[in-house]
Amino acid sequence: MEAGSWRRNTELSPLDLLKLNYRERERAAREWQARGGQVVGYLGADVPEELLIAAGFFPLRITGDPVSLTPFADKYVQRHFNPQARSILNRLLDGTYRFLDHLVIANSAEATVRVFVYLREIKRIEPRRDIPDFYFFEFLHTKFHRNAQYNRDRVRDLKKQLETWSGKPISDVALRDAIAVCNENRKLLAQVAQLRIESRISGVDALAIIGPSMGMPKNDHNKLVRELLHHADQLAPRPGARLFIVGSQLDRAWFYEIVESCGAIIVAEDSDWGNRAFDTLVDQTIAPLDAIADRHFFKAPSPYKSTVQERVEYCVRKAVEANAEGVIFFLLNGEDPPAWDYPEQKRALESRGIRTLCLDHQAYAPGDTSELKARIEASVQTLGTRQ
Amino acid sequence: MTGRGFLVSQPSTSSNWRGKSGAKQLQSAINAAAFQKEWFQQIRRRVEAGEPCALVGADAPQEILRAMDIPYIVNQWWASVVSSRQQAPRYLGLMNARGYQPDLCAYCSLAFASTLDPDPTNAPWGGLPKISLGIPDLACDSQMKIFGLWNQEHGVPIYPFERTMLVDPSPMNWWDKNRHDWEELYQPYRLDLMVEELKGLVTFLEVTTGRTLSETKLKRIMDLVNEQEEYSKLTRDLIAETVPAPISIVDSIPSVMIPQWHRGAEWAVNAAKMFYEEVKDKVARGEAVCANEKIRLMWIGRGLWFNTSFYQHFQEKYGGVFVWSFYLALAADGYARYGDDPLRTLAARYTNLTEGLNVPPWNAAWYVNEAKRNKIRAAVHLASSDNCLDRGAYFVNKALEDAGIPVFEIESNNVDSRTWNDEEMTKRFSEFLETRVL
Repeated sequence: MEAGSWRRNTELSPLDLLKLNYRERERAAREWQARGGQVVGYLGADVPEELLIAAGFFPLRITGDPVSLTPFADKYVQRHFNPQARSILNRLLDGTYRFLDHLVIANSAEATVRVFVYLREIKRIEPRRDIPDFYFFEFLHTKFHRNAQYNRDRVRDLKKQLETWSGKPISDVALRDAIAVCNENRKLLAQVAQLRIESRISGVDALAIIGPSMGMPKNDHNKLVRELLHHADQLAPRPGARLFIVGSQLDRAWFYEIVESCGAIIVAEDSDWGNRAFDTLVDQTIAPLDAIADRHFFKAPSPYKSTVQERVEYCVRKAVEANAEGVIFFLLNGEDPPAWDYPEQKRALESRGIRTLCLDHQAYAPGDTSELKARIEASVQTLGTRQ
Repeated sequence: MTGRGFLVSQPSTSSNWRGKSGAKQLQSAINAAAFQKEWFQQIRRRVEAGEPCALVGADAPQEILRAMDIPYIVNQWWASVVSSRQQAPRYLGLMNARGYQPDLCAYCSLAFASTLDPDPTNAPWGGLPKISLGIPDLACDSQMKIFGLWNQEHGVPIYPFERTMLVDPSPMNWWDKNRHDWEELYQPYRLDLMVEELKGLVTFLEVTTGRTLSETKLKRIMDLVNEQEEYSKLTRDLIAETVPAPISIVDSIPSVMIPQWHRGAEWAVNAAKMFYEEVKDKVARGEAVCANEKIRLMWIGRGLWFNTSFYQHFQEKYGGVFVWSFYLALAADGYARYGDDPLRTLAARYTNLTEGLNVPPWNAAWYVNEAKRNKIRAAVHLASSDNCLDRGAYFVNKALEDAGIPVFEIESNNVDSRTWNDEEMTKRFSEFLETRVL
């Protein structure tokens, strides 16, 4: 399948095109499908895109939508259910993702497992045709050798499932090509991360650059990021207090927009919708399936599947590498794992002279943000005083 | 009130309210409680003398520890003790003072919270002995965090068990299949993993404690567990078929659960046997916990440890008797496994232990089956008010309602009395009985 034709005959800059695809997450996938391709949605940060690409599918990462109500999901889930997962479940039920040919759900977090269980049960007791055909991809996270081996077997199972869906085998060459293009994407995004450390790309723009890597053909995305990087010398450093964001894994930019409207610049984050999406390469020197499994097994510790100690070490290291002056904890209401990490992360950061602000029990939807903004402004001013 | 039955959020109760324990009648419940206290002091003495002590998740394979004669305490059991002694608010307050949000999983973190008390003289039963090993089962994303804190704060080495997923939950009647046909019920690759995890645990324990597993001893323990659980099945079946019920869950919970925490011990088999025989005698004599029984009730969810008297509150006025909780029923249906290879048979017990309890559709099918078996007229479903344990309340409630069993759903915390409003709950449940059941 050829890359998108939308790139031609447009006056939009690479960044504008990336922003367009960040705003309209399903845009590229729908174009792909309109040209006869098949789209596989995926939920969870452990689904290996390389396999989906090698099978000839368009991988589209599933997201929530903070500005929409969730009446379909509300019927089924508990009051304390993770609000982002609630939104995702709602979109899987309200027809937003009806166009998907298939869906892969990984156990990357307890919330995604629950989405799987709910979908499975809804489909069983209320036969509906608007929920895409889905597959559960199980991946173990505790660091034992036997789990790494178990994961390799599950990756092989996923490959078989994709082959069944596509009706053709995935060749070794296709796999290696997919790994190469995904690794190139990660390397390009690592250069973007470096520009952020130099304050030459805002956090809001960074999310708009990184996000479409999970919703555009990789070659197209690589091309746009390469073009953007080609003109990087024209990007002037931006003023503002240097902040690092940790906590819930936000799939939308509204919170970044508020923070950066308060005189700060977000130089990095601990999020699989941000810098953690590309922080580990697939080893191109070993058998491709094993390399894919190992990449996810050994990648940076997620808030959901790691100990507090692992999370403290990672968060502090990344905040220090980014030369952050302050760290904001953004914790969604009903999402426990990052809240468990918070007290020890705060202690460790503050012992290194990095100030912290905790925004807990936050809504997934922006709503009235005046109080939130006031707290952030006060915190940013404190950093300014220190400077 | 929501679209899925009653949903009651709990405002905090007054600060001086204290829950009460229900009044036990069975000698087996009284004996079990006394044994537990003595056993706990024995553990404390052994640990003070230098022996190791493991803190384990409720669904971690305790049989291995028993076979290696390593003292262990179940994390959630200790939470129930702390809660029943009305100490949970104080300990959870210490966690909160450290920056942990008040709505994080109280049930699984209470034991850790209790270790933060600078004055341990007030601790229930003299307090936890020094914990030297941690064995969580990763039933949710908080488990690794909580046991990681044990490691960080107290230097406790951790051996976690992963929880794999039953992707194809068929057939539905797992309770008829899991004793013997577990190899086909659970996918072999999942059992393979659990066997490897068990082998890893044995090595971990051998290295950290210097003790060695005897397979002969493990086999004997597996036999004893099966013997114990067959008594639990007899007891469950007898209560189910006897109207009016000989006992309520105020007695059945301690009578079954304390032996459960000792499963594989000779004492536990004898306790389960005594429990059964005591119930049988009551049935033979025609004794009922509530002679005026009108409504047989089931309690879905964890025990309300700080206020078990709630279970008895509705007997006099409404003839409402809580005859069913999952504790006895799961002992009857969830644990027995028969097989020649003790490690693989043990793997078959733990690979899917809580699927039938907590994950639809298996749990919903089981609750309905148990409701019918026990002639249940209405159910209370205690759904957790924190993010710990989501058993798919909508699907469970719907299955029960579709089977003609009205469900009263409570959203609260089973160990943290700060979330419970007893007066309001009693009023609301009375209204429910009057409007939907009587």
